[in-house]
Amino acid sequence: MEKFLDFIVRAGSLDRRIIFVVIALVVILPLFFPLGLPIRPTNSSQDVYNAVEELEAGDKALVSFEYGPSTKPEIHPMAIALLRHLFEKDVKVYITCLWPDGQFMAMEALEQVADNQYNKVYGEDYVLLGYRPGAEAVIKGLVSNIRKVFTVDSQGNFLDDIPMMVGVNQVKDFDYLFSASAGYPGTVEWVQYAADPTGVTMSTGTTSIQVNEVMPYVQSGQIVGILGGMPGAAEYESLIGQAGIGTSGMDAQSVAHLVIVGFIIFGNISFFVERRRSKKY
Amino acid sequence: MNGSEIFGAWVAVFLTFGIFSYLYKDNPFYKISEHVFVGVSAGYWMAMAFWTQVQPNLFGRLWPVPEGEISGFFMKAWYGIYNFFGFVLPSVFPDGGIDKGHGHDPHFMYILPFALGIMMLLSVASKLSWLARLGIAYTVGMAAGLRAYAFLNSNVLGQIKGSAVSFVDMPFFSLTGVSVFNNLIILVGTITGLLYFYFSKEHKGSFGKVTRVGIYFLMISFGASFGFAVMGRISLLIGRFTDLITYGSSTYNYASLWVLVLMIVLLAVWTFKGDKEVAS
Amino acid sequence: MFFKRQLPIAIAATIGFLTLFGWFVDEPTIKSFVDDDATQWFDILASFAMFLGALNLLKMQAMKVMKKQKGWQYAALAIAGFAFSFTAGFILLGSYNVEITEFDDPAKVATVLASEINLDEKSTENVLVAVPEGDPYIIETPYFTKNGADNVVEQINAAGGTAHMRATDWGAHISTRGSLFNWMFRFIFTPLSATMFALLAFFVASASYRAFKIRNFEATLLLISGIIIMLGRVPIGGSISAWFILYIVVLALSAGVNTWFKNKTYTLASVVGGVLIVTIAGFIMGWPVDQPAIFYLPVLQDWIYNNPNVAGARAIMIGIGLGIFATSIRYILGIEKSYIGE
Repeated sequence: MEKFLDFIVRAGSLDRRIIFVVIALVVILPLFFPLGLPIRPTNSSQDVYNAVEELEAGDKALVSFEYGPSTKPEIHPMAIALLRHLFEKDVKVYITCLWPDGQFMAMEALEQVADNQYNKVYGEDYVLLGYRPGAEAVIKGLVSNIRKVFTVDSQGNFLDDIPMMVGVNQVKDFDYLFSASAGYPGTVEWVQYAADPTGVTMSTGTTSIQVNEVMPYVQSGQIVGILGGMPGAAEYESLIGQAGIGTSGMDAQSVAHLVIVGFIIFGNISFFVERRRSKKY
Repeated sequence: MNGSEIFGAWVAVFLTFGIFSYLYKDNPFYKISEHVFVGVSAGYWMAMAFWTQVQPNLFGRLWPVPEGEISGFFMKAWYGIYNFFGFVLPSVFPDGGIDKGHGHDPHFMYILPFALGIMMLLSVASKLSWLARLGIAYTVGMAAGLRAYAFLNSNVLGQIKGSAVSFVDMPFFSLTGVSVFNNLIILVGTITGLLYFYFSKEHKGSFGKVTRVGIYFLMISFGASFGFAVMGRISLLIGRFTDLITYGSSTYNYASLWVLVLMIVLLAVWTFKGDKEVAS
Repeated sequence: MFFKRQLPIAIAATIGFLTLFGWFVDEPTIKSFVDDDATQWFDILASFAMFLGALNLLKMQAMKVMKKQKGWQYAALAIAGFAFSFTAGFILLGSYNVEITEFDDPAKVATVLASEINLDEKSTENVLVAVPEGDPYIIETPYFTKNGADNVVEQINAAGGTAHMRATDWGAHISTRGSLFNWMFRFIFTPLSATMFALLAFFVASASYRAFKIRNFEATLLLISGIIIMLGRVPIGGSISAWFILYIVVLALSAGVNTWFKNKTYTLASVVGGVLIVTIAGFIMGWPVDQPAIFYLPVLQDWIYNNPNVAGARAIMIGIGLGIFATSIRYILGIEKSYIGE
């Protein structure tokens, strides 16, 4: 027994590189050998889905890309799933970016979904307005007059030459807002400067870390539904019935969480044994 | 798959493993990747800011494509400046003016932000650092004006409205939807949590007990934040490994495998040599 | 002194007042200035701030190289990295397209085109014929140099087709696949920034092992809520039976009894009694995974997430909201002057 307790105490001060190796393994292995665990949508993901379901063909949705490669695994799958849902319903999609990287993410997502999957026409079914620096001031500008902020889209086309821009002058002209956000500027600013002042329905997808910062808005109804991190993306994928990158990451995510919880519990057992001993002596 | 993509994949894999090598210990591969990152992002941010805002919305307003001939001394001089820049950097100042749909007449009002911007740049020289203050003062003032309203409206009033909800026509308890109990939890938690942040009164006696409850709610929230933080980081790691697996396929000539093996060998050699030097 | 102190404060105060009142005033001139032009100016200054950041960084690295400080070689590498991305952003476009508008004999054009798009001549001909009448055919991968593209154009023209070289517009090049800038984003910027963030996964795991200890009641709450969110949010939480959680709850309660009464008989009684009750209840209900719902992790997680968690997060949100409101007003009134270094 003493020997066993000795082992536990010593394991409590394990070289952290061993932990690193364990984490790497538990993330990699499920990617090669998937378990296929079923995915269960949470209420807040269902709310986003319902909000999009209420849109009709020809309605206008403003989707803002506020993330980059650093958080791509969390938000890109939900952006793709949302675009699929919107295009499936023939909603017109307008894309802006508050992060410079967002423009590249949007390009990639559009190429995959709009061009290759749904064969949508640029300028008629979707438009990539692009990135503008200035955070909340950009949103404030868009709420007042889109054409002051964007006179050209990301490809250099004049806004007045783009068919789907006819009659679209400010945020109020949209039926739905979605912010795919990884921090500042992002969801919080869209609520403060666009959704709250104009009353346009807004949903969001955020990184896991940002979820708690945004949750109070969701509970109070200032935002309709939230997709949280990669699991949120996987839930949305299961709701629209098109499995994607989010779903394929869920097994690795599950196993890694289980192992980390195991780490926490083991660390505490070791801590208790040690404390007991130091009290004895 | 063309050559530039395959070459790109090799570069990407090298840089990825370069950063990951920090997990072993600080080493030249990590330092190389880190410094490349710093340099490249600086240029990247500059180019993005320029092409998405300064060129279309500032220069496009100051020097739009004029309607007809340029006449008058002032206008000729004004476009003379433009032509000079065009001679130096034709990619930035194309022949004849910048047409970004702002109309044909220069918006001279935009000289002001341009000047403030230039002053900001001049502040790189330490002696002129105060020049940046004017531009910074503008952004600070504007941000303050925007935020004073937005935070009061959405974060304070909006949240108070969200907590002050009805307690009728709903079940007493529900796990999944709204209920009297859940609304009470939110109301009590918000108020006690807020009281905890009230430092003008010492947290003792009955006030102390109330703020104690507030701490419990805050702790539950911090716990959730911790759970979400773990979740997010693991997702990012999954994304990285997915990319490495893609780059490890035969399409990319097994870039991931080769680079990994090479880096491990070099790191081993480097550590071994380091140990020898220490020993001698 | 006036330019260094009074003028900045005056600018901040004026713009601050104007912007704040812009929310309430309905006068069209003021409203249009505040909402449209003033925000544009802000955006422009934000861009210059980004330049300034880059320049400062460059200055720091250059100083390191010039003074030959420790690690100056790496600083030189950072400058080289900057030079590369600057070149990709402003000097070297790297994206020249070839479009074929007309051709008399697709077979002849195909002989030239085939090697360019890595297809055999027959399939190339089919591709050409499949292009709708009136539309140009654009070679998918752009050419890196203007000469490269011009060469192909010449060859196609010689084969009886009509081809043009079209350079990507400066400005549109950042979002054009195939440009040097885009290549840099995908293969240098992306892996670096993504891996920097992913690295933290390892440190979070190691920290949770070493630092996350139950020292008091608050820490216990934090830990339990963290674990429930971590397991309940991912699919594996749905596979953990509510009954398993119930058994753990029984054990935890018994541990509580133990510390409270410090009596072995009571502890044993609570363990045995609890386990018996749960087991009997389990047999009666037939051990459904998701019943009783309150002990089923996905449901429990959702309840915590939507209620006590929101309460805590909301207290923080209101606190921050009031704080930022107050600070903003201080800036507008000129009381807060940290931006001029006071």
